[in-house]
Formats: sequence, structure tokens, C-alpha cells
Amino acid sequence: MSEEKYDVLIVGASLAASAAAKRLVDAGLDVVALERKKLPRNKVCSGILSPRGHRFLIENFGPLPRDILHEPTSCRGVTFHFPSMISISMDFEGGPTPHLNRKFSDYWAVKSSGLNVHEETSFMGLEDDGKVVHVRAMRAGIELKYTARYVIGADGPKSRVRHSIYPDYMKSIPWFMVGQKFQRIIECPLDEDYFHFWFHPALGHYTWSHARNRRQIVGVGFPSGGNLHEYHRNVETYLRDKHGVKLEPAEELEGCAQNFGPSLINRYVFGKGNVLITGQAAGFFNMLAEGMSCALHSGAIAGEAVVGAIQRNRPVQEVYRRLITSEAKRCTDQWNPFRIIFGNPHEADFKAGMRKLSKREQLAVIRDIFRFMKIYAPYGWGRQILSQSLIRLVRNKYPSGRWL
Amino acid sequence: MHIPVFERGIIPPDPVAPDSLKGIPRQKTNPSRWQGDNWQDFVRDLQSRGVTVCEGRADCSVFMTDAGGVAYSLPHGVVRPNSAEDISKVLRAAQAHRVPVTTRGGGLTTEGESVAFGGLLLDMSSMNRVLEINSDAMTVRTQAGIFWHQLAEILRRDNLDYLSAPLNLTASVGGTLGVGGIDVNSPRLGCSADQAVVLQVVTPTGDIVNCSERENPDLMERVLFGYGQFGVITEATLKIRKFTPITIQYFYYSSLRTAIEDLQFIAREDASDYSGILTILDRAITLLVAFDSDEREREFNTRWKRSLRGHGEAGFGLRMAGHYTMHPWRIKEAAYIIGRRFKLFPEFWRPEFMHHGKIIDRTVVFSRAVWKFWGGPQMVIPDLSSKAEKFVEAVERGNAVCRKYFRHYTLYCVGIKLRGRLPRYEMSCIPPDASDIAYGCEFEPMLRGTNYSRDYLQSFKNEIYDIGVDMGLSYYRFGGMMKGYIRRAMGDELVDKHLAMKKAADPAMVLNAEVIF
Repeated sequence: MSEEKYDVLIVGASLAASAAAKRLVDAGLDVVALERKKLPRNKVCSGILSPRGHRFLIENFGPLPRDILHEPTSCRGVTFHFPSMISISMDFEGGPTPHLNRKFSDYWAVKSSGLNVHEETSFMGLEDDGKVVHVRAMRAGIELKYTARYVIGADGPKSRVRHSIYPDYMKSIPWFMVGQKFQRIIECPLDEDYFHFWFHPALGHYTWSHARNRRQIVGVGFPSGGNLHEYHRNVETYLRDKHGVKLEPAEELEGCAQNFGPSLINRYVFGKGNVLITGQAAGFFNMLAEGMSCALHSGAIAGEAVVGAIQRNRPVQEVYRRLITSEAKRCTDQWNPFRIIFGNPHEADFKAGMRKLSKREQLAVIRDIFRFMKIYAPYGWGRQILSQSLIRLVRNKYPSGRWL
Repeated sequence: MHIPVFERGIIPPDPVAPDSLKGIPRQKTNPSRWQGDNWQDFVRDLQSRGVTVCEGRADCSVFMTDAGGVAYSLPHGVVRPNSAEDISKVLRAAQAHRVPVTTRGGGLTTEGESVAFGGLLLDMSSMNRVLEINSDAMTVRTQAGIFWHQLAEILRRDNLDYLSAPLNLTASVGGTLGVGGIDVNSPRLGCSADQAVVLQVVTPTGDIVNCSERENPDLMERVLFGYGQFGVITEATLKIRKFTPITIQYFYYSSLRTAIEDLQFIAREDASDYSGILTILDRAITLLVAFDSDEREREFNTRWKRSLRGHGEAGFGLRMAGHYTMHPWRIKEAAYIIGRRFKLFPEFWRPEFMHHGKIIDRTVVFSRAVWKFWGGPQMVIPDLSSKAEKFVEAVERGNAVCRKYFRHYTLYCVGIKLRGRLPRYEMSCIPPDASDIAYGCEFEPMLRGTNYSRDYLQSFKNEIYDIGVDMGLSYYRFGGMMKGYIRRAMGDELVDKHLAMKKAADPAMVLNAEVIF
């Protein structure tokens, strides 16, 4: 069986892969991506991209075509809802941000990057002999072999590339399920210009709703093993009773597993040897589980690291881990209580929203947040967040020794 | 799905929301690599005309990035021209085959302007001969690929000197004339570009044309400060002067505002031959003034020195000691400043470069110090240029951005003497509202031993450039990642006017088109 040879092989064809490819293709390297589905492919996602990610798309891939956006085309900000029935709306800094249709936005980005994609080709495994990486893949039942100097795993939360170099990792972190149902609207007082999020411990670990293409999305995240329909029914009832949201039965349902957690506690996975892990596979997640902008930026950094490693003849892991420091810091800062209290690590101003409330309401919100955070207590993240935040305070960076 | 392709310069309406990203143009600023259509035909065409194209990976990889180190790409091939005729052949063939051509001198651009995103790279450093020195007219005619230090070396043999050149002397003459070029004598002598008397230019369509303020003046005004859009400068006749050793005096400040006000006072009064501000963070601010003659220094000492509010080194050292005694938690900062002071300043008076208390060759001293203390794998130097009245605020705001992003950084401020309102200044580094003297400030983080992603450095640059948009300033350099700022800073009407001129001069849009459009 002949082996196809490339400078860089990327697994995945999403935004992280496109961003990495943009840097690599521009640098004149021979790059291929393996994508297990046929493009354009669907992807479970809220589609609400942060302003920082929006700017990245424009600067690197050009003006956004209308076809890659849902209706409404933009999202003005986020509204937090609390059990005490207080709501805080915050506009994104930099104005409304795109509501991406991931099926087409990812396709547009990957095409704009100039990346050569082998579709319907599943990554099966790899061996890194120190000089090159041998990759096994499967297309239409036929085994294929590739050889690349570097491999970039940009294949999402359940990354098979990550699994091939750290087989036990999947078992070592908690997993969550997120599911969203699409329902026609009978009556919905929730402002369709905003993404709505509930800090309610009785609803789920992550409860959201927003409008898309004249339907309402009602979504909920919960520990893996839970029953989506039960959680969803609970949320739907709450929205109807407390917010007057009346929806027709769900027409569509989608869900996936999420590795929410590594970015909170600075436990990223960046790979080994000539294999780099990036995007959500590495654990990047912004607050409110927006992973697209970190995927774009971390993917681009993975691409830069490969280019830098080749140009300076340095080990790629060394270059990648140095360059990724700023993105890891920015991402973990969003959970750092000191940064939240004394700065603003987010792209919307929560503190400004709080200042608009009365003192009594502010206290109620703080109480609600603490009650909500208690449902995360079993994961033991609180102490880790605090210890990492203290180290950040003293050393102005998070320790890279916790990264895999 | 249909993926739309937008013509260069076309900014489509935004389908997201009209108020999204607060006016940032919907423009791709990191270009894609050209994919090589017609490349082989183009190479064959050139080879049949006797032009050698180097296509080896090693030949191309040398030019993978520029001094900025944030943009990476490879040309498909490199031509090292020997003559204007070679360049003419390249550009004629490029127009016919629609192959992008990127010119490169010393590669000291910081935004990827001299990085070829595919296509052909013209390595102008092969055209580096001085052709004629005219001591009567006080001009030198030189090929434009020459680096300033090479030119200086040759002029020194006749005890002559250029007027002004960038402190980083591995810039090429042609590249510098295309962007401006500032020196510490720019408050008196203006930009490097303003010392050009006659140019030989190969236009984007391959015509070899001489231009000056009398002959083809329109082309002259377009090519100077023109970011390589309207032709390749192959020869330049520059004004020169007698070479002189210089004496330097230093004044130390702890306030940026006061130091800048004194810098502007010196420039306004024409009190010194050279002046500039160089800082260590925003704590130790040094105003440097230098003189070509003892007479000028004496005049400065008697007429203007007392008006300056800076301190001598001993007095400033005592004040700093007092400050850090009261702020002991900033001990690391104090240690950095002291360390930097004792490493950097002796470089300016090394005995081998001094004679009777004067610096014999400022070219060597400054250029050496620049590389030794500010050089590195990446040179990140966003800058702002403004009229006198806005300058203090611009520097103070930029300084706050530096503080936010980096532990260690330097500011470098200098005045730029203008020659009235010349057409060449339009859409250039010269602010449109400046008269007589404009001022520029470079914001330079110390990156040696640090590692930041391109995005982090870009975010820093963006925040500096945003100040320029907000205050209606200009910038020393446009291009590459800064493309998005040209329309914001200069307005669509002016940019579209220049784009129309560019399209008329370069129908296939092949010459350095990615730089600003």
C-alpha cells in the first residue's frame, strides 16, 4: 500500500483546522486534512461567535457571506437569568456578533484557507517515530496510509488523535452532554437579539435558549449519563411558567458530548512529539461554552508553531507550548475570580450589568450564582481555580506544568 | 455552497449587522497565498528573455518572513535582477501572465509587506552599486537595492554623508524611499524620501522612466511614500552633505509629557542638529540632542539649554532612587532600568567610536545599538504619527497600551520636518493635518527571550492603531495586517482615489498589491 506524504496532516475540517491550515498553506507547506464526513457537514453548536472570533474570520478568510449565517444573523449580547427572576442583559463589546450556521461557515472557512481535504476519511491511529508521523486512516472500508512531519489534531472534544497519544485521558475528565431541541414559536417574550442563559441549579449545568430561523432553541447541558428528554422537559416547563415562553413540540433534536472543564483549571492537552492538539480537543472553551473563537486562535497558533519549528529548526512542542501561553492565559482568565473582580476578562461587561441593579438585587444575584456553582462542587474545580488564580497573581502566568 | 470572490478594494455590505465590530472594514487583511496559475508559462517566458528565476525551496525559504516575523509565506520563485531591464522584463511578463510580484530590499517591514504570498519575489539587494558621487552638486546616484550602511561606507571615503536614513541601516534605499524613513535629524532634514532628487523607476507595466520634480513629477510624487504601488525604484539620486562627527547631550525625565514638550521646543526652535526621545518603559525617559559642530552646540548651551526641564544623570538617578524607595514593590522594574542603563548607554560612547569626545560615526553607533538592544527574531513596532498638538496625548495613550501588554518596552519619538503639503504626503505616514513638523512615536516591546502568538502581538498593534483611528492620526507604515486601518484612518474616498490610480498604472494589479489594497 502506498503512503501519501505531506508536511502537515490535520485531523478535522472545522474552524480550528481552517485556522491552522491558513497559516500552513500561506507558508507554502504541503497540507492535507482528514475529515470523516462529507462536506459541508452539520455541527451541533449555538453558532454564537464572539466578536474576537468574528474579527479573526474577516481578517483571515475575508468578508462573511450571508449563506454562512442563520436568522437572526447576529447576536447583540447575552442575557443572564437568575432563579430570583432578575435578568441582566449585556451587549458584546464591539457590537453584535455573527450567528453562524456551522454547516456552511466551517465549509467556507476551510475552502478559504486553501486546505486540501480528504473527505469521508476517518483517522484510525498514528505512530510518531520522532522524525515523521505515520497515520492510518479509513475511507469507504479501505485502509489508507499517510506520512507527515507533523500532525495537528483539531478533531473536537472526543478527539481520536488525542486518544491515540493519551489513551487514558478520556476517562480522567468529567464529561457532559449538551442537547438542543428546535421548536416553533407560539409566543416568546425572550429578546431574540440575545443569547439567554440560566443560572439555575434545578434546570441543569448549562441551560440556554435563543432564536434561530423562526424557531426557538431550548438547550441544556448535564453530566454524561443523564436523560436529555427529562432535562429538556424540565427547562421547557420552567420557561413556560416563569418567562411565558410557549413553544410547539420539538421538530428536531441534536446533542453531543462536551469536555467542559480543562480550560477552567488550566489542564490543557497540547500533544506530544510531532503531534499537536488544538481547539476544543485541547480543552479550549470560553465562558458560556463558546469554543469557536478559541478554536480559531489556538488552531492558528498550532499552524504558526509548525511554521516556526520548521523555520527555526526547533522541536514543535517547545514552540507550540510557548506560543499557546497567551491564549491559554486569556481563556483561563475568564474563570479566574481575581480577574473577574478586578478586571474584565470577558467580551461583555457583567459588572456594568450588576451596577444597574439595586443593592438588594445584587445580593440576590450573588447568592444565586453561588447556589448555581454548588452543582459543580463534585468536580473539585473550585480549589484548583483558586490555586491557579493565586499562581497567576504572583507569576503573571498559569503554570505550564499542568498541561499534557 | 457558493463562495463569493470579492474584487480587490471592494468592501461588501455586512450581512451580520451594520453596527458589528464598530466600523472595522470587511476586508481580508491576511492575504492568501497565490496558487500558481500560469506560473510555469511565466517562468518560461522570463527564461526565454534571459532572466533567471530561482525556484528552489532553499532560495525561496530565505524570504519566508520579514523583520516583523508575524507573516509567513513563500514565493514560487525569486529573481535577483541585475538591471532595470531585467525588472522591466519581469513586470511585462507578470502583467501578461497575471503573476503577483513582491519587491524586497532589506526585508525590514514589520507587517509582511515584503513577504511574497506566492508569485515572484524581486530581491532588490542584488542592485547595490553606487553609480556616481557628485561633490559639486552634493548628490549621489545609486542603485536602489543598496543598504544604507553600504552607501554610508562608500560616501565616507570622500568624507561625505547621506542626509537622513532609518537608524536600522540594513534597510534598502529603495524600500525606505517607498515608505518615508526617519532619522534623529529628521526634525531638521525631513524624511529620507524627501532627500531624493531624481529616480529611475520601472513602472508596473514595465516602462523604465526617469522622474524628478521637473521630469514626470506625477510619477515622482506617487512613487515616493507610495508603498511600492506605482513602480520599482531602480536608481535614486540623493542629496548628500559633508560628513561630521557629532557630540551628544542627554537629558533625563520621569514625565513623558514634559520630555515631549521639550522635544517639540527643540524642534520648533531648530536648537539642535539631531533630537529624539528614547525611553526605558515610561520611567526613564531620555531626550537626546546632538550637534554637527561646536558652534551649534555652544549656541544651544547659551540659548536653549536652560529652558529644558530634563535632569542630568546624577540628579535623575537620585530622583529615581527616591521614587523606588517609596515604591519598594517595584524593585524588579528598578533593577531592569538600572541594568538596561548600564548595558545600553556605554554603547553610545565606546572608545573605538569616539575621538575627542565626539562620535566619529553615528551610523555605526546607532545601527549597532539598534540591532543589539532592539533586534530579535520579531520586531513589533506599531507607531503613530501626528501633528504637534495631538502628539502628547497619542504617546500617553499608546504608552498605556504598552503597559497593558508588556513588562518591558521602549518608546522612540522623533520630529519630521515637512516640505509644505506635497502630493506625495497624501495617504502616507505624514498626518494630513500636520504642518511644518509632524511627530512620530514607535511603541516597541522588548521581545527577546519571550514568546507571544501572532494574535497577541496583533491585538497589541490593533490597540495602538485604534488610537490613531480615534484621534485622526496617521501611521509610519501601512500594509499587510494594517490594510484594515487605511480605510478607517484615511477614509474610503481617498483610498478609492489611490486604488483607481493604482488600477490605471497596474492593470493586472500585480505589483505589491497586497501591501495596502
